[in-house]
Amino acid sequence: MLKEMLRVENLSSGYYRVPVLENASFSVHEGEIVTIIGPNGAGKTTLLKTISGLIRPSSGHIFFDGQEISGAPPHSISRIGIAHVPEGGRLFPNMSVMENLLMGAYGNREVLKTGVLDEVFELFPRLKERRHQLARTLSGGERQMLAIARGLTSRPRLLMLDEPSLGLAPVLVDTIYERLQMLRERGLTILLVEQNVPHALRLADRGYVLENGRIVLEGSCTDLSGNSHIKRHYLGL
Amino acid sequence: MTDTLIQNLLNGALTGCIYALIALGLSLIFGVMNVVNFAHGDLVMVSMYLTFWIGLGTGIDAAITPLLTFPLLFLIGLLVYYAIIDRTLRQRYVTQIAVTVGLMTFLRALAQLIWKAQPRALPYSLIQGSIQIGSYTILASRLVSAAVSVLVIFGISLFLSRTWAGRAIRAASDDLDAASLHGVDFRQTYALAFGLGSALTAIAGGLLMTFQQVDPTMGVRFGLLSWCVLAMAGLGSIPGLLISGVIVGAAEAMGMSLWDPRARSLVIYLLFILVLWLRPRGLFGRK
Ligand SMILES: Nc1ncnc2c1ncn2[C@@H]1O[C@H](COP(=O)(O)OP(=O)(O)OP(=O)(O)O)[C@@H](O)[C@H]1O
Ligand SMILES: [Mg+2]
Repeated sequence: MLKEMLRVENLSSGYYRVPVLENASFSVHEGEIVTIIGPNGAGKTTLLKTISGLIRPSSGHIFFDGQEISGAPPHSISRIGIAHVPEGGRLFPNMSVMENLLMGAYGNREVLKTGVLDEVFELFPRLKERRHQLARTLSGGERQMLAIARGLTSRPRLLMLDEPSLGLAPVLVDTIYERLQMLRERGLTILLVEQNVPHALRLADRGYVLENGRIVLEGSCTDLSGNSHIKRHYLGL
Repeated sequence: MTDTLIQNLLNGALTGCIYALIALGLSLIFGVMNVVNFAHGDLVMVSMYLTFWIGLGTGIDAAITPLLTFPLLFLIGLLVYYAIIDRTLRQRYVTQIAVTVGLMTFLRALAQLIWKAQPRALPYSLIQGSIQIGSYTILASRLVSAAVSVLVIFGISLFLSRTWAGRAIRAASDDLDAASLHGVDFRQTYALAFGLGSALTAIAGGLLMTFQQVDPTMGVRFGLLSWCVLAMAGLGSIPGLLISGVIVGAAEAMGMSLWDPRARSLVIYLLFILVLWLRPRGLFGRK
């Protein structure tokens, strides 16, 4: 087994006095793709936001490379190698595609000298054609690609994706997942939050099921695909 | 009659370029951190007095003084940000308004205390002479001031698009959470925007003092007219800001010559209301 990269221990978190996440524990190893699936409002986004520092946990621990990072501000968490591609993309609408990509590397500017932009353009050639366009003029699929690409320009060690398939037509979802498959082949470690369970289980190695703020099930994706609860509630079989 | 009007319109349009510069500072602050800064106009007034003071004490010309007052106002902006604004960001909106209104009152009282109520002007300016166009006379100081304002506005626009710090300011104003997720420290970025926004009033103050006098109450007028320019331009369009500045400057001049010189603030206020009423997002704005 490869080295443990991210470990979340008994994490609880929420908004003001509304608790959302309760005692969540899980881990992601180097080179692995781990997915977290769950219904609307389960707390998946809250979980990612807590890891990336946008929300402070009310209790529990988050370790990255064995170092405690819970409670640190988002800008310092991004600088240690965690990139969070937020739900809905959250691009900078009034900045060009190129500027969005540059902003992705804001905390780790040196990596721009390593040809990371060329690699990103190779993965998403469409973005190269549109690099001078304002982000707000992009189509839905292009926006999602730019959001992922922007997450990659800092050469993160861990890429966290929040519902990359959200609101996209099936053919575009396939395209996005092809690119994620390419990233997997390059050895990138990914934590993937999804509601599109068939796609997520096909791509990932292991998965956790989050319901009502609690992790209720975990296992390899092969096991999860065969699980009767998953089959009935998530795969519609 | 029409001659005077056109003469005043020309002067007003030139002064309007300085108004655009003041409004650019305001738009940096409002656009990035959504803080309604009521003290902005009074910073212009303070800058004008500092220019007056330095000019009287050292003989340094008003057109040169911004080299000194720009860094000074930048530091004052940082101080105001960290001492006051930063602490109210997570408070209710009324708290923010209360502290900037408080700052405005404080600056005005301070100016009255130090410089008394009578208007002050510098006896001379480095930029002498005037240009004659037909029957109209344009003071060189007004022309140079307008040109410098346009250049500074252009410089700031380059800063915002070409530098990391500038892009961070724009990113934070587009989506603060997303900017944070990519390594932007919001506190640093806010402080920079507030410092820079305040420092621009130093340039405006110096330029205004090359042809105008200052009194402790004029902050209100600058505050009002910069909000009017910003409302007209909307957020995010720097050329729009310049055009709006010229329109407001010209409207003010027109009100003064057609109606009453004392009506200048009234005209701006009416224009402000009209803009908010007809085009709440401004003529050139994006959101
Ligand atoms: N800013 C907020 N303030 C208060 N409550 C919130 C906020 N954002 C989310 N919630 C609540 O927290 C709970 C979990 O939301 P979260 O967005 O984490 O769910 P999710 O699993 O990502 O759902 P989805 O699949 O719809 O994205 C929901 O009940 C939601 O109403
Ligand atoms: Mg979500």
